[in-house]
Amino acid sequence: MTETFEERLEELRKIVRRLEDGDTSLEESIAIYERGALLVKQCEDLLSTAEMKLTELGRDR
Amino acid sequence: MMFGGHSAGPDRFGTPILGVAEVSGLICDLLDDARLHQVWVRGEVTNYKDHASGHRYFSLSEGNGRSAALINCVMWRTSASGLGFTPRNGMDVLAWGSVEVYEPHGRYQLIVREMLPAGAGERHLMVERWKQELGAEGLFAPERKRPLPTFPHRIGVVTSPTGAALKDILSVISRRYPAEVVLSPTAVQGEGAHTEIAEAIRRIDGLADVIIVGRGGGSFEDLFAFNHPDVVRAVAACTTPVISAVGHEVDTALCDFAADLRVPTPSAAAERAVPERREVLRELSGYRERMETLLLHRTSVAQSEVEDLRERMHPRRLVRRVHERMQHLAEHEELLRRAALARVQRERFTLAEVRADLVGKNPLAILDRGYCIVESGGKIARSAEDLKPGDHVVLRMKDGRAKAIVEERVYDRDI
Repeated sequence: MTETFEERLEELRKIVRRLEDGDTSLEESIAIYERGALLVKQCEDLLSTAEMKLTELGRDR
Repeated sequence: MMFGGHSAGPDRFGTPILGVAEVSGLICDLLDDARLHQVWVRGEVTNYKDHASGHRYFSLSEGNGRSAALINCVMWRTSASGLGFTPRNGMDVLAWGSVEVYEPHGRYQLIVREMLPAGAGERHLMVERWKQELGAEGLFAPERKRPLPTFPHRIGVVTSPTGAALKDILSVISRRYPAEVVLSPTAVQGEGAHTEIAEAIRRIDGLADVIIVGRGGGSFEDLFAFNHPDVVRAVAACTTPVISAVGHEVDTALCDFAADLRVPTPSAAAERAVPERREVLRELSGYRERMETLLLHRTSVAQSEVEDLRERMHPRRLVRRVHERMQHLAEHEELLRRAALARVQRERFTLAEVRADLVGKNPLAILDRGYCIVESGGKIARSAEDLKPGDHVVLRMKDGRAKAIVEERVYDRDI
């Protein structure tokens, strides 16, 4: 089950908020940072490497 | 008599005399009737004059012979500039305007704001009627409008496969964002176009994250299919959000009202359908930087905490601690030593006292006073009993001994 771009971006925003929150433990901070860095990379890759595709629906149902 | 001479006085029968302005004012009042205002009038153009000032003067007439009717018309420069065609005498037209009185000339005329060739005019009226009907059905209600997705995967496009609209959309999307475009092809004008467009909308609905319905700019006639209730209803029935982009400058097409968002051109639709890749990338790198900064800060705080603890655990501190204890111990040792010394001193005094006491109680001390101790057979003779005549005894004196022999024994009293 791959996440959508939107879901990844939302998770990334949550991670930034949790990093800003001083209550997060250091271990957790490092773990979620790693996850966040991965998400940024995935999102960037998706945006940078993907190309527009064009398909056409048949006129007959 | 009653109808006798024309020289009769004006108020002979009590008839009031009106001023011209008064009569003209009454006429104005009479013509100030809703039925004569903002109405569509159909007729044939006659006496058409294209005045140098830009104003247009003409008449609209209907029928001929006895049943003929004619009304004078004027179209002011500002209204005339919006004319989509050149009126000519004999043309069947629809004019929209209000009847007004021009008092200085004693004329009433139709002030025309808008004019269309009759065929097109009828279609305009039809659109107006559809607008009323569809609006009454609630298809244009603002609360029906849904937000567009921020990051769509698939953009559905309902337009002509050969038109400029598709080219514009593809060019904008390929530049901005890597989405998939699914074309649901249809004719966009001509006979039966509305049925085809509605079909194409229904085909794509649910297969995309957002749908663009549209075509490039054109005349009212060209865009007419996008007013048709079939198309409007198809747009309104979509489960997927719809952007309507029917290229037009002045008018709107009815499918605009039913769509979730209306934009003037297909390019604008594409821009609204997908985000700008560069902006998203910028946002992403912003997040990366923020995360890095936050983590760096977090680790540096942790590091200084560790540093602080390390400092507090340093051997130097322990040595100092030991030294402190040793110092303490040494102080106690000294106290102990002093206490012991004092004790010994005290014991010494006691000892001296005891000794002095002892000296006082020395049994030999009595010898100094002239007594002597008699010893017989190594034992002290304490009683006459212990001696008998002939015993050899030793007399111990203060400064020496003497040997003697017992001559006699006498008891001081009887035993």
